[in-house]
Amino acid sequence: MTLLSDIISASAHLHSSNHLPSDEYDRRIRELVEYFRRLQTTKALESFANDESFLDRFDPAIDSIPYLFVLRVQIQKEQELNADSFPAGIRPSGKLWTCAALFLASFDGVQVRYAGREWRLLVELVGQASQAASMPLLGATLVKDAMLRLDPSCAVFTSNHLLLVRLCLQAKAYSCALPVLKKQICHVPISLGRPSEHSVLCADHGSSVSFMTEASGVSSKLSYRDYLQYFLYGGMVYMALKEWRNALHFLGIVISMPSTSSVSLIMVEAYKKWVLVGLLEKGKLCPPPSITTPHVVKVYQSLARPYIILARAFERGDLKRLNAEVDAAMGVWSADKNLGLIAQVVGAFFSQTVIKLGKTFAALTMADLSKQVFPSPVCAEVTGSAVSSLIMSRVLNATLVQSKDHAESSMLRFSSMHSLPRLSHELDLQSQLKREMKLMETLVINLRETNNNLGLSDEYVDSLHKGQVWSGSSEVNPTGGETGLEMDEDLMGDMS
Amino acid sequence: MDTLPDATGLSRADMDAAGLEATTSITTPRARVLVKVDEPPKFDLDTYIANYTGRTRYDRLYLIGTCSPLLSTDALKAAIAEARTSKDVSRYERAVRALADVAPNDPDASLDAAWVQETNRYVQTQTERLEHELRGYKNNLIKESIRMGHEDLGNHHYETGDLAAASKAYSRMRDYCTTPNHITSMLFKMVNVATERGDWMSVQSNVHRLRNSQSKPEDAAKNLSKISAASALSQMHQASFLEAANSFLSVPPDLGDTYNEVITPNDVAVYGGLCALASMNRDELQKNVLDSQTFRNFLELEPHIRRAIAFFCNFKFRQCLDILEAYRPDYLLDIHLQRHIPHLYKLIRTKSIEQYMIPFSRVTLDSMAKIFAPTVVGGEARPTDISSPFVQELVGLIQDGVLNARIDLEKGLLVSNQIDLRAEVQRTSLESLREFNEEAHLRILHAAVLQAGLEVKPEKGEGPGLGNGGRFPRGPGRD
Repeated sequence: MTLLSDIISASAHLHSSNHLPSDEYDRRIRELVEYFRRLQTTKALESFANDESFLDRFDPAIDSIPYLFVLRVQIQKEQELNADSFPAGIRPSGKLWTCAALFLASFDGVQVRYAGREWRLLVELVGQASQAASMPLLGATLVKDAMLRLDPSCAVFTSNHLLLVRLCLQAKAYSCALPVLKKQICHVPISLGRPSEHSVLCADHGSSVSFMTEASGVSSKLSYRDYLQYFLYGGMVYMALKEWRNALHFLGIVISMPSTSSVSLIMVEAYKKWVLVGLLEKGKLCPPPSITTPHVVKVYQSLARPYIILARAFERGDLKRLNAEVDAAMGVWSADKNLGLIAQVVGAFFSQTVIKLGKTFAALTMADLSKQVFPSPVCAEVTGSAVSSLIMSRVLNATLVQSKDHAESSMLRFSSMHSLPRLSHELDLQSQLKREMKLMETLVINLRETNNNLGLSDEYVDSLHKGQVWSGSSEVNPTGGETGLEMDEDLMGDMS
Repeated sequence: MDTLPDATGLSRADMDAAGLEATTSITTPRARVLVKVDEPPKFDLDTYIANYTGRTRYDRLYLIGTCSPLLSTDALKAAIAEARTSKDVSRYERAVRALADVAPNDPDASLDAAWVQETNRYVQTQTERLEHELRGYKNNLIKESIRMGHEDLGNHHYETGDLAAASKAYSRMRDYCTTPNHITSMLFKMVNVATERGDWMSVQSNVHRLRNSQSKPEDAAKNLSKISAASALSQMHQASFLEAANSFLSVPPDLGDTYNEVITPNDVAVYGGLCALASMNRDELQKNVLDSQTFRNFLELEPHIRRAIAFFCNFKFRQCLDILEAYRPDYLLDIHLQRHIPHLYKLIRTKSIEQYMIPFSRVTLDSMAKIFAPTVVGGEARPTDISSPFVQELVGLIQDGVLNARIDLEKGLLVSNQIDLRAEVQRTSLESLREFNEEAHLRILHAAVLQAGLEVKPEKGEGPGLGNGGRFPRGPGRD
């Protein structure tokens, strides 16, 4: 059992270095990971493959790296033995599943940064195993916790994001995805052009983009389809929760993504949903975000014609026309699997029209109202109950006044457009403002990071500009441009 | 132009209702739907037409003859007489045909074949003579002669009604003009032809050239009045009423009778007054129109326009609208105003309602209806019902965002929207914050995707590129 004691001593060595300066810690942890990778290739770890007690000796929160490597070997062994990619042991409630769950719920985020590839493979395996056992919810919660544990800001897009939303959609556990969806993704893993960064992996980074690089293996190789799908699925999660505004934002991301010459069908699908969700949220046909390339917009308009025609009918406030359009293109809706949204759009039509009437009238009788809304006369009770349900659900800010003699129909009085704000309303607004403020702050941090990566920080641009002026105005300092670069490196040094 | 559809008539009784539906009764002014004006206009035909000279006399007479049943015989007879003094055969024939429809038994209603033949022959020989002369001049290469040759030919075509040929001949003069005076006179001729053809773009561009021509200061001052009148007219025809109003207001009072072949000072007063009423608010009207030293001279010629504007400025909208309604037949018989009157009146009416609402936080619909739809109040049982035209008009105005108010049908009130500034600021700041965040996120993500080189691009082999778009089911040929 020399290997075991070796491992224990190696990891103990790491524990003792917890208070070392970060570059020393970095060196040691790299050595440790190297050591395990070596063991793995030489199949030395095979000896623990069946030793169930081995994992119990380690605490995943402290010895994350040994735990992770040995767990992976054991899983591989199990797969080989059963000639099955998801044997019972790693399905939910299996022995190895429990170990994996324990690990994903308690691993040390800093240590795992050095073994990103192994960590990702484990996460993917858990997700797939839960899918195979048709218990996607179990996988989804584990994946979500693991992602937030590794990177609490979740600002870097990884393949795990896509895995998570897909699991959540399958489990119909929409709110499970929310903690990750709410974090704004601002980066995509890149290979940082400057090798051996100004800071080490374990350091306290302002933004996760500096340790979640392409080389770290935290994410599998990405293609444009991955992020398009993620945002489309994210939009669908929000749609299921009826958070239309967020859904609109996610769909907006999909349809405005840069494209060279072609359009992905995912984008077209997102545009169709965008039109419908826009009707539900704003009651009108929303133009695509301003940064969408014009030729893409043209493609959308030609491919999503029925949707645009439907939206026009909705905008015009013509119920008869709207119903006709819905019936006429029934095949399109069901082929695109948008029947549910269409049904909601038709449902929203009434409330949108009544709200619009509230902008024109301060009070009017129910008889007049139904004349305005419905092209053909309908029973007074139908309108009455529809309106009162709108008022009760707080969609409509109005009161119904019954007239004394029942011969006349009752009077609908819209509350004044800006009724006196109540205290609760103010508090609500305040918290919303605070939330948006916080969002903006994280955005600013991420923006700074992006600028750094792109070499666009203010200081850099300034110094470059100065350099040009120097070299342009006089020949005294012909190497002005390089001065700018040096200043940039100084800046990086300050930040680390 | 042979038959007169009389479905578009307006009777005095529904004049106010017509105010409400002005645009529906006389629709699509551009499509030359014949307007029929049954009411007697206030002007006297002879004195009216005596104000004008040149070819516009015939045009005006013919318009009055075809549009006003009361004056048709007189006007058309005058038009025939006018046409016979000129060399324009087609005009003569048109007037005779129109008269034959109105008064078939009139001695003038039959074509004077001998005159037609003789004039045709004269025109023919004259054209040939002038073209021959022009060729001679061209051979001699004397610039001035060539210019005059073109001018004579243009004048000849203009007189005989061949406007396209006339404007072509005039525009050929350009290369042979040697002095600024020549250029100005050529441009004026082109403006006149373009005015008659209704080619307002060309009027505009020629006016522009006139303004930039380098003539002597005293000549420029002399021409300024004509230039600004012509440009104002073209702006009015292009329905940019505010610009037109400002141009009319800037016409110098020395216009006098110098431009009677197109526009008289009375016309300037009427056109300018109406355009100003339709496009300016009360302060501007007071300052730019009533207090204007130069425009006062014009307004004195048409005191009722002055009164209308004064009433408008003093919040007496009923009187103002009454004056305008009383003069509607006159203006409908004006060659330039006819197709703009419904639109202008609608604008003035809308603006009156808007201005009327400003000082009130709530007004009863009854009192508004008394001012803006008196006949409706008299005629209907429930003047402020939702289906009454006046309320419908208000609904339209609110929905178009002209009136910032809401209708209370229970109490019969028009309530102006009170804005709670605090709530409004909170709402807008939250909204703009959200929009900013979303936009910023989009852009940061864009940059990240581009940096990682992951933009959507066609893939080799499989890949849902644009080509596969055709697979998508489209709407079954609907529009």
